[in-house]
Amino acid sequence: MFRRILLALAIPVLLCSLASAQSVDDVIAKNNKARGGLDKLKAAKTMKISAKMFMQGMEAPATLMFKRPGKVRIEFTLQGMTGIQAYDGTTAWMIMPFMGKTEAEKMTAEDAKDVEEQSDFDGPLVDYKDKGNKVELVGKEDMEGTPVYKIRVTLKSGDIRDIFIDGENFLEVKESSKRKTQGAEIEIDTYMSDYKEVGGLMLPHAMESKVKDQTVSQITISKIDLNGDLPDSLFKMPAKADSTAKAPAKADAAAKPEAKPDSTKK
Amino acid sequence: MRADRFIRRLGVIIAAITLAHSAAAMAAVSIDSYTFGALEARPIGPAVMSGRIMAIDAVVADPRIVYVGTASGGIWKSTNRGTTFKPIFDKYTQSIGAIAIDQSHPDTVWVGTGESCVRNSVSVGTGLYRTTDGGETWEFIGFKDSERISRIVIDPSNTSIVYVAILGHLWNANEERGLYKTTDCGKTWTRILYVDQNTGCADVAIDLKNPGTLYAGMWEFRRLPYFFTSGGKGSGLYKTTDGGTTWTRLSKGLPSGELGRIGVAVAPSAPSHVYAVVESEKNALYRSVDYGQSWTSVSTSINVQMRPFYFAHVAVDPLDSNRVYKPGLTLSVSDDGGEAFTTPFRGGGNIHPDHHALWINPNDTKEILIGTDGGVYASHDKGNTWNFLQNLPVSQFYHVACDDDRPYNVYGGIQDNGSWYGPSRSPNGIENRDWQPLLGGDGFYVLPDRADHDVIYAEYQGGNLIRLHKSTRETKDIRPFPKEGEPELRYNWNTPVAQSPNNPKAIYIGSQYLYRSTDKGDSWQRISGDLTTNDPKKLRQDESGGLTIDNSTAENHCTIITINESPRDSSVIWAGTDDGNLQVTQDGGKSWTNTVAKITGLPKCTWCSSVEPSHHDRATAYATFDGHRTGDMKPHVYKTTDFGKTWTSIASDSIKGYAHVIREDLVNPGLLFLGTEFGLYVSVDGGAQWAHFTGKLPNVGVFDMVIQPRESDLILATHGRGIMIIDDITPIRQLTPKVLESDAHMLSARPTPITIPSYEQNFPGDEVFAGDNPPEVAAITYYLKQRHMFGDLKVEVFDANGKLLNTLPGGKRRGINRVLWFMRMKPPKVPPSPELAGGALFGPMVPAGTYTVKVERPSDTLIGQVQVVLDPSLPHSAADRELQQKTVWKLYEMQERLAFINDAIVGVRDDAKSRSDSLKKGDALEKTLTAFSRRLDSLHKTLVATKEGFLTGEVQLRERVVDLYGSVSGYGGRPTESQLSRMDVLEKNIEKANTDFEAMTSKDLAQINTQLQTKNLTPIKVMTKEEFDKKK
Repeated sequence: MFRRILLALAIPVLLCSLASAQSVDDVIAKNNKARGGLDKLKAAKTMKISAKMFMQGMEAPATLMFKRPGKVRIEFTLQGMTGIQAYDGTTAWMIMPFMGKTEAEKMTAEDAKDVEEQSDFDGPLVDYKDKGNKVELVGKEDMEGTPVYKIRVTLKSGDIRDIFIDGENFLEVKESSKRKTQGAEIEIDTYMSDYKEVGGLMLPHAMESKVKDQTVSQITISKIDLNGDLPDSLFKMPAKADSTAKAPAKADAAAKPEAKPDSTKK
Repeated sequence: MRADRFIRRLGVIIAAITLAHSAAAMAAVSIDSYTFGALEARPIGPAVMSGRIMAIDAVVADPRIVYVGTASGGIWKSTNRGTTFKPIFDKYTQSIGAIAIDQSHPDTVWVGTGESCVRNSVSVGTGLYRTTDGGETWEFIGFKDSERISRIVIDPSNTSIVYVAILGHLWNANEERGLYKTTDCGKTWTRILYVDQNTGCADVAIDLKNPGTLYAGMWEFRRLPYFFTSGGKGSGLYKTTDGGTTWTRLSKGLPSGELGRIGVAVAPSAPSHVYAVVESEKNALYRSVDYGQSWTSVSTSINVQMRPFYFAHVAVDPLDSNRVYKPGLTLSVSDDGGEAFTTPFRGGGNIHPDHHALWINPNDTKEILIGTDGGVYASHDKGNTWNFLQNLPVSQFYHVACDDDRPYNVYGGIQDNGSWYGPSRSPNGIENRDWQPLLGGDGFYVLPDRADHDVIYAEYQGGNLIRLHKSTRETKDIRPFPKEGEPELRYNWNTPVAQSPNNPKAIYIGSQYLYRSTDKGDSWQRISGDLTTNDPKKLRQDESGGLTIDNSTAENHCTIITINESPRDSSVIWAGTDDGNLQVTQDGGKSWTNTVAKITGLPKCTWCSSVEPSHHDRATAYATFDGHRTGDMKPHVYKTTDFGKTWTSIASDSIKGYAHVIREDLVNPGLLFLGTEFGLYVSVDGGAQWAHFTGKLPNVGVFDMVIQPRESDLILATHGRGIMIIDDITPIRQLTPKVLESDAHMLSARPTPITIPSYEQNFPGDEVFAGDNPPEVAAITYYLKQRHMFGDLKVEVFDANGKLLNTLPGGKRRGINRVLWFMRMKPPKVPPSPELAGGALFGPMVPAGTYTVKVERPSDTLIGQVQVVLDPSLPHSAADRELQQKTVWKLYEMQERLAFINDAIVGVRDDAKSRSDSLKKGDALEKTLTAFSRRLDSLHKTLVATKEGFLTGEVQLRERVVDLYGSVSGYGGRPTESQLSRMDVLEKNIEKANTDFEAMTSKDLAQINTQLQTKNLTPIKVMTKEEFDKKK
């Protein structure tokens, strides 16, 4: 169950993709602009998101942290216990203490893919060529009655993501992904909304993940800090069980006032 | 200008202005599929009897990948050899005629729509489709007017070459028929075999070793509303050896007279062996051993002869040219080249009759899949024994009814699969085992007796009405017979049976006459003369069938087909007939008026598929007419407000598919529901505009509908996808033009009972279908004109005192949004432990009452209410419910109290430990602090399990309190005395822990703090309740 929560948490790809208009590059350019522009996107070196997760009537506070290049850490807390998934650019690891196991564990290569993908700070559309991603504008369609552009991204890994960009504002409203896990394929749709400006970037503050059209989790974001100090140690797999117990506290400390939401403004 | 002329002129001007305004208003308020937003159909199956299967194909290189094409329930794909299936064709025509996988590129699959087993109830197709990504997306290739495609054959040596056998229209002549060929993967097509506008290609077989050689069975056939003809000059068996450029009509050894339907198969292992099942004066299986040059009649066994229009199919084992399978009424097999047939069922064979599709694994011929009128079965032993794939909910319902039990039950009859009832909700979902069979044969109307809950009326084809007694399982045949001097009664295949909405004891049945009974069918009163045209030309069902007579009651005609009494007035009764009459009586049947002549624009003799008297006005009624049996595919929908003296068409161009049924809402007379062959249409303005309802509802035929009045659920009888329920249509009732024009609007929903979640231990594996349950929590419902994009949209719930209980993420979509509120308080804070306390993950249910909900948007706030009510199905007294709720709350507070005491203890313990760590080893205070911290730790360990690991089994105070909280929460009535006294004991234990802690802090801590100060260390503080609450 908790894996599913995290999977859902990992999907939204907060910073990621937006879309286009006539040619795929045109849509991507408009999307980049709608998000605040490439300069501002790239000026964001770290991001810390304070959020609340909702799942089948349960609520859990969650924190998502990103740092260039390619680092990510996701935490959520239930009954005072904190589950963690993280990736430091090399190793993906997790702590799932809910069944009595408090040591950090390496994630399987398959499970790690989600977290690694998440660490693509700007999303798969930005500099897609350099990243080895292929993009295709599938067309314009109705997504729940809203006109959208559908962009199919074939990631370097070969995985496919369909990104839906709303035709009026050029912001991403949905991402559909198929994930192969243990030989089975799971399709996850993530819907984004409640866009707000943070440090010149237009970021979604609500997300909903569905599997087979059923909502599996929702996230609302109360705060996003840009360019705060997130030490590398947060993303590294702890050596021993003892040290992991304190990891959440460290994250809290790191989040403090150094975070300057406006620092990306020029 | 004279005054009167001026006034008349003014009148014209005003009328023009008014018209312009109303036209403008109507144009502004447009609805479409997205208006209904989050309202979705909930499929409840059943899959226990599945439905008719037309086509099966599997990937030869990986036979776990299976595609199943159904008669009217779309295409289903499995990637695990049938353990699970998913529908992959929901946006398109649900009637499938043929499926062919390109085995060289297994993600490319060709699909021909339109079933070719042309029974009376058959649906229609819309052409040829193809996927190149395993069914994710589909491309329409062509043949829009083909109506039905019987077979697709791919040239194995060059899969760009595809042959498509188009059977064509069933009820009228058409041009797009015959055998078509593409050599460029579908870009261009050539018709390579054609006879005439009445003859289609029923089958085509390819010689896999010489793929330019093909055999094609051409078939002349026609169905009328009252007659079927198979056979004619157009029928014949043809052969080409040059890929279709030239054809020879084969005749040597074949019957010389007129032919009917022909099925043909080439033995893959020895293509000189060709088999053809040929309909003629004497139906038989013919065999050729010289590539079709000459033929010999080898078998006239009954399964070979039977019902060619339905069973003209033969298959040869891929490895053994003498092993011939004849799917038909049953499955028979020959091992001597078709001369002697026997059953393959040795030690098994308990499978549904009527077989239409057979797939044999060419690499392992023991592996067989068969498609029947009752789903797909798999054999692993060459057809001896079979297992049923219980996961295809493709039942074809004709009608639906419901009762008022809690949860209510749904009743209905199914094509070739009898009559059933099942619950609208069940623990673990609505599973196959929840459905109860009532009667066999083909099922149609099933009606629970509203006055006697032990009695159900059900029928099988041709008016065989039965009364069933649930308690004894006894059945009584109650159909009326003609009285002396009366002609034989004509009952339709789908004989109408109805209940009076005014008198729960009154039931109706229609032949050519209308009958009424008030004693459960023990006696009947005829209340009409012959209401039909009684046209002798249309009363020839005993001659129907063409070359093979087929008089199954399916062609019974000049019968009443729909009956409905006005809910406003029991003397107003409507009856529609299959030969195009629409009759009404206003005096309980003494006199009748045929109103159909007052309808303009309706072709004569069009089947009156449904009549719906208004729930709001006795003179108002709605009717649908269905002309598809004469080739008229248009929807015909009409309304009268004067007992049929005048009728107005309320159909619009946005409606697709011929019309089966119309229902008027019980509350809002402007809200109409229309079921057509291609789905459900909804109007919120009395029929001025219609929108296709697409929320999880495929383009399946909606044959009947009923609204469950208590739950406001719209229940759909789909002909191909079982029963679908649209839960709580209350929000649609409120979609007035004003609401639709507003940016956002709060909508109310039905009251939500507080239910105790139920669960049954049952692990049936993944193969068994389970229908979804309705959400058992409250829905906060609102309308958004546009998708919400910018700024927070949150939903807040407040109790009667204005206290904020929950903040929820809102729905953002265009149209109706539904936000689920779990009706629970926040979960209790419990002391942390290495193991989750599952019972404490949820807060207590809120008490019954009215809750205020606010939808907060950057631009405005919508305010509404949600009603939470006690579950009326639970028998508990108010006092018991109150005690349960009080006990749960008390235990909730105890958990929080324990969490506070524990946090305080742990806080002091950790402070003592850190102070001692900062002191030198051996220091007196260091020793005191260490000892003090250890005593606190011992106390802490009695409060909460602290052992690490999985399933430690450790139980301390926290675990005991959480366990009690969970068990008292799980029952809606009075807690047991043991539970109540246990609560007292645990509360004392908590207070004892607090007392012990206070003793330690008041005595020892004061001393310790004094000593700490002497060493310039910060004194240790005990956490206050305020600090705890703040932290929480």
